[in-house]
Amino acid sequence: MENTFDSDLIYSIFKLAWSRKAAEKSEETELNETEVGRTSKKNWPTTANSNAQKVSSELLRIFVTEAVQRAAIITEAEGNHKIEATHLERILPQLLLDF
Amino acid sequence: MPMEDNEAVYEKLGETEKRFGLLRDRFRLSVIAISEAEAKKQGLEIAESVVACISDLAFKFTAEVLANDVGLFAQHAGRKSINMEDVILSAHRNEHLLGLLRSFSHDLKGKEPKIGKMRKRPL
Repeated sequence: MENTFDSDLIYSIFKLAWSRKAAEKSEETELNETEVGRTSKKNWPTTANSNAQKVSSELLRIFVTEAVQRAAIITEAEGNHKIEATHLERILPQLLLDF
Repeated sequence: MPMEDNEAVYEKLGETEKRFGLLRDRFRLSVIAISEAEAKKQGLEIAESVVACISDLAFKFTAEVLANDVGLFAQHAGRKSINMEDVILSAHRNEHLLGLLRSFSHDLKGKEPKIGKMRKRPL
């Protein structure tokens, strides 16, 4: 079976990130006393369905395998047998642009 | 603003950082497994520092970029729950990646039991 991320783990990271964002936002609105008390009709999401969790896990699995595969190309081009930091460095810019 | 309120906020943020730390550790275990398997496929070894770097990067990406993007798309659509399309859309920067996720999502849909749906009879 292929190695991948546990959907629950990824979901937990999302929820924690969202709650941090919500906490930061509520701190902001408390400090801005001049802000008019509008009720925001569009609320920030709080859940993800199970398929979304699975696709997210897949996306992250691809991120990791792409990083390794792209670095491996550099490693082999240099005639090396071990993927090192300098190889990763070379491919990092394009990797970040692609994701 | 009273000092107590400030402290409560900072304490909550500290608690959040602790939780992130635990998730980051679990996350790294998966990255180690995935990276080492992939390197092995290529017939290569991979330095520990490289795996650690990929892990930190992927974790940051998940918690800062991905969580934010999917949240934004769902919110824009007026939903409180993320669906597959939100995740697929987040990959819009790379056509190839988008295609991979889309076919993955089709496979998932295909595996779902079609309860209550009439199967089309072949002619």
